[in-house]
Amino acid sequence: MTERRVVVGSAVGLHARPAALFVQAATKSGIAVKIAKDGGDPVEARSILAVLSLDVRHGDEVILTADGAGADAALDSLTELLAADLDAAHG
Amino acid sequence: MTLTVVSPVAGAAIPLGAVPDPVFSAALVGPGTAVDPVRAEGTVVSPIAGQVAKLHPHAFVIVGDRGRGVLVHLGIDTVQLGGEGFTLMVDEGDDVDAGTPVVWWDPRQVESGGRSPICPVVALDAPAGEITGRADGHHVAAGDVLFVWE
Repeated sequence: MTERRVVVGSAVGLHARPAALFVQAATKSGIAVKIAKDGGDPVEARSILAVLSLDVRHGDEVILTADGAGADAALDSLTELLAADLDAAHG
Repeated sequence: MTLTVVSPVAGAAIPLGAVPDPVFSAALVGPGTAVDPVRAEGTVVSPIAGQVAKLHPHAFVIVGDRGRGVLVHLGIDTVQLGGEGFTLMVDEGDDVDAGTPVVWWDPRQVESGGRSPICPVVALDAPAGEITGRADGHHVAAGDVLFVWE
């Protein structure tokens, strides 16, 4: 099990737009990534319903976990995505 | 069993592709449709029967049978308003019916703040092919059928 912790950089947290971009990236990775808010149960990162229900706010630390071949690379790129301000990238 | 999704607000039903936000319009949040609301204050109603899974002033998710969740997002970039101009009428965890009032707002207020009041209504995690019978191109009243989730 590979794990990464990341502090969410999006200015207003994982609301619809950044959550959708994260879910898209997680789905494209082809890996079964899970995401948890510190202290909570991990949920499926490929489900927009699950990610929106987590209600991740700006500055929250989340934990990404995944298993198997490609997990490291997938988690690295997802971590980078979450640390960035995904709303700033929108133009 | 098919799930009938009703319009949360009165207005013109428009395709998701017409929503002025690249993530909603590309159906990245999920498939569905959108409503360009009548410019008048009023209540926003639940699109399906179920439980209020997530409630923000500007957006909410109702989860119905088989765990299917529908997101209603009131306007674009309205998360930036921090709840100003929206009044909650239910709590997270409440059970609601299709048509139960959830939030009160004024789309004119959203618009005068420089944001679009267009409301995407999205079937979360639904394969695109499961969404049919869209009311796009028609005027809908709150509670009228907006689309069907097979």
